Amino acid sequence: MPQTILLGPQRPIINLGAAIVEAALPDGPLGVISAGWQEAEGDVDDIETVVERRLVDLRLYQRAEEVFAAAPDLLAAYRARQDRLQALQRLYRLRLRRLLSAARQMLQTREDPSLIEPEQRHAIAQLRALDRHHKRRVNSVHREFDGAFDIDSHELLARHVAEIRGILEPLETVVITGGNVAVLINRLRLFRLADLLAGKNLVAWSAGAMAASESIVLFHDNPPQGRRNPEVFGPGLGLIRRHIFFPNARTRLNSSDRVRMQLLGRRFAPATCVTLDSGAALRFTDGGIAAAAGARQITESGKLRKVRIR
Amino acid sequence: MNAALRRLFRKGSPRNGEIDAFIASSEFPLIDGNEVTFVYRGTADAVYLRCWISGFDTAQPFQLLNGTELWVSTIELPPGSRIEYKLEVEAGGQRHLIIDPLNNVVAHDPFGANSVCQGAGYERPRWTLHDPEARSGAIDSFNVESSAFHEARDTSVYLPARFRRNRRYPLLVVHDGHDYMKYAELKVVLDNLIHYLEIPQMIVALTQSPDRLKEYAGDDRHADFIANDLFPQLASRFPLMDDIKARGIMGASFGAVAALHAAWRHPQLFRRLLLQSGSFAFSDLGRHRRTAVFDPVARFMNTFRDDPGELSGKIYMSCGMYESLIYENRSLVPRLQGQGIDVRFEEVRDAHNWENWRDRLRNGLSWLFPGPLWMVYE
Repeated sequence: MPQTILLGPQRPIINLGAAIVEAALPDGPLGVISAGWQEAEGDVDDIETVVERRLVDLRLYQRAEEVFAAAPDLLAAYRARQDRLQALQRLYRLRLRRLLSAARQMLQTREDPSLIEPEQRHAIAQLRALDRHHKRRVNSVHREFDGAFDIDSHELLARHVAEIRGILEPLETVVITGGNVAVLINRLRLFRLADLLAGKNLVAWSAGAMAASESIVLFHDNPPQGRRNPEVFGPGLGLIRRHIFFPNARTRLNSSDRVRMQLLGRRFAPATCVTLDSGAALRFTDGGIAAAAGARQITESGKLRKVRIR
Repeated sequence: MNAALRRLFRKGSPRNGEIDAFIASSEFPLIDGNEVTFVYRGTADAVYLRCWISGFDTAQPFQLLNGTELWVSTIELPPGSRIEYKLEVEAGGQRHLIIDPLNNVVAHDPFGANSVCQGAGYERPRWTLHDPEARSGAIDSFNVESSAFHEARDTSVYLPARFRRNRRYPLLVVHDGHDYMKYAELKVVLDNLIHYLEIPQMIVALTQSPDRLKEYAGDDRHADFIANDLFPQLASRFPLMDDIKARGIMGASFGAVAALHAAWRHPQLFRRLLLQSGSFAFSDLGRHRRTAVFDPVARFMNTFRDDPGELSGKIYMSCGMYESLIYENRSLVPRLQGQGIDVRFEEVRDAHNWENWRDRLRNGLSWLFPGPLWMVYE
């Protein structure tokens, strides 16, 4: 049974090597996807030192650059899709800001529980409906792109996909690094990695963990120009279901703001919101968590508690 | 009188041992809400507080406390304020400017050092301190052959950690760059803000003029040096993004004038300006009220105010409320906004000094050059 291991950032604590050993992943070279590092893709010496195995980088970022350079029609269609996705994200944010503000006020209001609790539930339900709607809209833009532009019959792209399949074929484990989550998920989608990774052991951290999940949620409570609202970015590969991952939460999430945390926990339920700080490790087998260290679950009451093993 | 001093004097004039104990157990200056009390201990004919900030007398006299060698002066200082000062001690017909012997907090600048008074609530920003987790950028140096000045100018360049030739980077040109590094911790700030993903990895050119009061005062040769000498040589040596919105120029005091002048004279070059405590002297009628060194500045600023030309993009400006220049800086904001420029202006309870400029770097840089922190999860 293939395993999926999700980790927090590999700085300052590097637990990649230990996680692989603990999970007793089979010996042999590892495939690496470091497209999230963009131009620094393939600078994997540090990983090689830690895992003490041969690494084979799939070069998804570089492959995409090569494809875009050689196929202007594909590049134009891809850019048009990205423009539509960005416009959609802006529209979603407009509505999200108001719904979140209202939901926050509802959760802060002290009132007769018989009056306020249904209002709170409804405010959260409206948020969840907007998130679902946005994810559907993002999905539909991806489908439109796939439909309007027949990627499967695109010779150059098909050749790259076949090459990647060939590289992956003898490998039992693939590592996905952190980095820019948008760049990463776009490359993973472009080269059909959801299909190609089936049956492989997967070790992913930070953006890699987000991309492996069902839904990617962008978040940062402490940026220098004022905090932003956590927002659904779109679907991930869906290799791990019913979980949403929040890497480096100690820095990025204001966990002392109980109402904000409560909103996170309730808004994305029944999915479980899980923080992945440096040093954290989660091991999934057969869709359930087999081992957990350092990862925390954001509860519907806004508290952080240990992730339960199921 | 300050509450701690009142307690010291509650039984009359304290003995030397009591004063020793009081000094050993106190932090100076004494902060009590909005009141700051400066203390000097020693034999003197007179003692003055010298802090060269707008709103205070140039020399604030101390009072000698009865039966002691303790001199005190109390001023009102709003919360969050930060001022730099010296003590002027008059004895035997001579006056000496000294840093406060009872205060260990000192700020340095090209003219030496000043004592620092941090009012209630002021805290040095965490991101201005070395973070061992932040990767360190590198400093490269090269000579820029200048056709404008007919000589070579030594220029340093900050290259971000993990710099790669196959990647393209935004560019920031910094006036008084070496001083920014030395007195405003610019390298630490860049390392940290890049590490926190609050600004993108960028290349930062650090220029230093041998005659800044002349060359930075709206001197066309300097603007041409930036545009025709420095920039092309940077572009040929380093992988810069080919996007005007990814190019910025900054400076403080006269350096801010130089930055504005260069961007105005060569509007095709920069769309991001960071101007700190700009010495933007101007006159609406007659001569400006500053010294002669500001004459060329006022000529440029008067011309600029009449016609800002094609200057556009985003400008972050900051100025201390305790600077006389606050008037000129406030006046410039609506003129820039009227030009359609996106201006962010920050007034702070500080004065004309490097630590003020250091403390504003995060707000300015992260607004002009937003980092990828929303999308990057390392």
